[in-house]
Amino acid sequence: MKLHIHHETVYRYDAALLHSAQLLRLTPRADRDQQVIDWSLALPAPASASDDAYGNRQHLLVLDTPGDTIRIVAEGTVETRSNVSADQPLPAELFLRPTPLTGCDAALTAFAEGYRTLVTHHGREALLDLMADLLDRMPYLPGQTDATTTAAAAYALGQGVCQDHAHVFIAACRLLGIPARYVSGYLYTEHDGHVASHAWAQAWTGNRWDGFDVSNNCTPDERYVRLALGLDYLEAGPVRGVRRGGGTESLQSLAKVALMDQQ
Amino acid sequence: MMLSRTADHLYWMSRYLERAENLARLLDVSFSLALLPQSKNGARSEISAPLVITEMLEEYNRKHDELTPEKLLDFVALDRSNPASIVSCIRQARENAHAVRGKITAEMWENINATWIEAREYAAKGIDNVGAFFDWVKERSHLFRGVTYGTILRGDAYSFIRLGTFIERADNTARLLDVKAHLLQSDEAASASDYYAWSALLKALSAYEAYLEIYRDAVTARQVTEMLILSPRLPRSLRACLEAICKILAQLEGDNGRLAQRDAAALLAELKFASVDEILDEGLHDYLAECLIDINGLGDRIYQAYLKAA
Amino acid sequence: MHRIEPPAASIYDEMLASDLAVRPHYDEFLRWLNQQSAETLSQRRQEAELLFHRVGITFAVYGDDNDAERLIPFDTIPRILPADEWQRLEAGLRQRVAALNAFLHDIYHDGHILKAGLIPAEQVLANAQYQTAMRGVNLPHGIYSHISGVDVIRHNDGDCYVLEDNLRVPSGVSYMLENRKMMMRLFPELFARHAVAPVEHYPSLLLDTLRHATFADNPTVVVLTPGHYNSAYFEHAFLAQQMGVELVEGRDLFVRNDRVFMRTTAGHKQVDVIYRRVDDNFLDPLAFRSDSSLGVPGLLAAYRAGNVILANAIGTGVADDKSIYPYVPDMVRFYLDEEPLLKNVPTWQCRKPADLSHVLANLDDLVVKEVHGAGGYGMLIGPKASRAEIAEFRCRIIADPANYIAQPTLALSTCPTFVEEGIAPRHIDLRPFVLAGKEVKIVPGGLARVALQRGSLVVNSSQGGGTKDAWVLEA
Repeated sequence: MKLHIHHETVYRYDAALLHSAQLLRLTPRADRDQQVIDWSLALPAPASASDDAYGNRQHLLVLDTPGDTIRIVAEGTVETRSNVSADQPLPAELFLRPTPLTGCDAALTAFAEGYRTLVTHHGREALLDLMADLLDRMPYLPGQTDATTTAAAAYALGQGVCQDHAHVFIAACRLLGIPARYVSGYLYTEHDGHVASHAWAQAWTGNRWDGFDVSNNCTPDERYVRLALGLDYLEAGPVRGVRRGGGTESLQSLAKVALMDQQ
Repeated sequence: MMLSRTADHLYWMSRYLERAENLARLLDVSFSLALLPQSKNGARSEISAPLVITEMLEEYNRKHDELTPEKLLDFVALDRSNPASIVSCIRQARENAHAVRGKITAEMWENINATWIEAREYAAKGIDNVGAFFDWVKERSHLFRGVTYGTILRGDAYSFIRLGTFIERADNTARLLDVKAHLLQSDEAASASDYYAWSALLKALSAYEAYLEIYRDAVTARQVTEMLILSPRLPRSLRACLEAICKILAQLEGDNGRLAQRDAAALLAELKFASVDEILDEGLHDYLAECLIDINGLGDRIYQAYLKAA
Repeated sequence: MHRIEPPAASIYDEMLASDLAVRPHYDEFLRWLNQQSAETLSQRRQEAELLFHRVGITFAVYGDDNDAERLIPFDTIPRILPADEWQRLEAGLRQRVAALNAFLHDIYHDGHILKAGLIPAEQVLANAQYQTAMRGVNLPHGIYSHISGVDVIRHNDGDCYVLEDNLRVPSGVSYMLENRKMMMRLFPELFARHAVAPVEHYPSLLLDTLRHATFADNPTVVVLTPGHYNSAYFEHAFLAQQMGVELVEGRDLFVRNDRVFMRTTAGHKQVDVIYRRVDDNFLDPLAFRSDSSLGVPGLLAAYRAGNVILANAIGTGVADDKSIYPYVPDMVRFYLDEEPLLKNVPTWQCRKPADLSHVLANLDDLVVKEVHGAGGYGMLIGPKASRAEIAEFRCRIIADPANYIAQPTLALSTCPTFVEEGIAPRHIDLRPFVLAGKEVKIVPGGLARVALQRGSLVVNSSQGGGTKDAWVLEA
């Protein structure tokens, strides 16, 4: 599937911003099952590019006199393929440790433990059940959670967005001894207005990484484009920044994914 | 070359200590004048002067409902919750020194730390002898300057310490002189109390002997003004401070100080070629107000060029 | 003659052999001691306290109003090590630190030791101290722990055991230097009567190690401190000053084009080596804890790009973690193909069911420690604990076995020490500082810590421990 992506992020500040440093993970991964045909980033200043330990492409954008608006546009074409096994450069055990965002409390532990026997015997199939059950317990509902909401807190709320779903799913997997990781990226849908910027989870099912998109209760296919992966949102989210000054920040992010002609 | 943050701490260390010293000098003038026999209102204006020129009046009124010498002394000298009090200045000087402990000599640190420990005791116990307290503040400031002069390597650290001293001193001399500026605004013949006022100012600035040596004359407003602003020989005059600042700036490494050097040179040129008659014609208060703006601006230039860390 | 309380029979004493004979390397010291009047000695101790207090004022933690100084008590009776004993210890330390560095390089690259099955991969890779960000980073000479502070104790069998390898930001070296300075000032004649190996050159060895930690020519080295409210600030400032390098805070540095610069009065200056005294998690708010204001945004990217060296490296904590400690002898054999020269304390890992049941059955006799704990906190000393404390700890262990290890209660050796009642034996340890670079350098001795409470085995300064000067006698 050949997909064209246009992703614009605008930060606005209600006071003078003095200094800002942002780590951008806004370039699709060059994995075997997705090929980046062309890609460009339009940034307010030159940024230095590098790969992190997970193989995510990242740009460090430092602004000394940034004004009151930062506009970032990522745009390009990606060809995705399904049924190609992904690279395995990293040991799966790296994705067993809980992070502050993916820890379990008593309630989440109880939920996950309920699947221990099933998971032991049925692996991936059991995780599909867990995923469906999870979406029942915490339907997709924006507005109540934010970037700092932990898995346990979102589970307790009984609702959340894709980021929360991924965190809770990952927390449960790790508790059961299954390596799991966070993936951020884009999702192509036929209807306009659906959120194109997306996040889901991958779990290590013995010999490969399988995707689990809790919010849509499905497994990712060639409609999914991966930007970055890591232990949680902090490691794999598209943008992570620190700043001085600026007062209140408002963020507007719009991603459009279009299907390109197949010829 | 040194870290901007280090330079900033050194600069503020000496500014705060100089400020504490000048506050003591200021209170000294006010207290000695307030003790003179005169009308109640006169005494009152003397007493409130330190609050007015240090811009602490509002804060004082927030905390106290009447103005008495005791309360004023406590507020300006000892009140630790008043960030501008003498004790607070000493605390901040010492905090800045602590942050760059490795960049000053052991003697400097021990000296400024001992000053803080004694200041804290004053704050806890109160002052029973006002004159002795003012002398103590001045003496500790002199001691620290002496220890600095006698022990620290001549280099950037020394330069920024001195820069802080002279910027603060120029500012404070201008403010101290400004307290008396109103005496010049009336056309009345100099009264006996005016004479006392100008003498007290000279004494507070340790400039009485210098005055006698330069002018060999009775104390007059015109000559005091001339000496405190324009004399290149009096170490607390505006001109002497600016000369020192220009020299220090010229020695600093790097080329980011161009604007600071330009502004300092312009201000020095103004002081070098001004005459006291021009100043009095313009009005002493207005002249000093402009000087204060310029000194402030120079401080900002120095900050932008050298001290701004992050 | 001064009365010295004899050591307990079951304990090794550094000065007195069990039959109350003096060990030969303390002969001269004891002769000297007996020539001093009690008054002189007490005067000297007061003098020491006064002098330390003066210096001490500078390294206490300051809040605004409570200037309560935490002075670490100093004892004037040195811990003396004969030359041959130090040589053995030094060889053991070199070997151990070499193995630990090889281990760190291995687990951030191919993981041979994991593939060989010597250590369960999960125990290393899922360890909270393992920093995935270090994968794919190549460091000059393969050195991760440039500065190691290895805690060594002597058991009643007379042998030295390593209790803990401190590979993150080991501290205390300034006390080692200050203690020696103090002893030389108080008792110059003692140093005329003994050939004590010098330690004063530690800062220059440290600078040398840091300068050679990078391939950059004429590198700019800085010390990174969390700031002057940190309890070890004195040491940070002291070392920076002794090395003649800048003491920086995170806000003095910034990253541009994957390089690190510091803001100076003469403009921006590139930094090549950072001796950081800030924990991993606070180094870069874009990579680790987002709320850290102590670090430098983008530092990790600059580090991974090879444009700056951090000493110690990020992620060394996985090698000094108590859950990994039991494997250090295996590391020596695996990487160096040598037998370990220094002993490890036998350790039960509660995550293993067999070990767990042994531990639970023998809580009265064991020391139980939290895997990630430090500073003598979060531990149970069985023989000294009450019934209730043991019961409480039992619950904690059962709830989370993987979080605990247990060791036999060691009989730390004692050294005569001035206390209220006179001179009495107190338990001690030793933290030598190992500098690893192109070559390994160790100043003879280290920081000797002493548990001042009678019978106490906890030497940590945060829990009432004191320090002594440690002497290595030259052959």
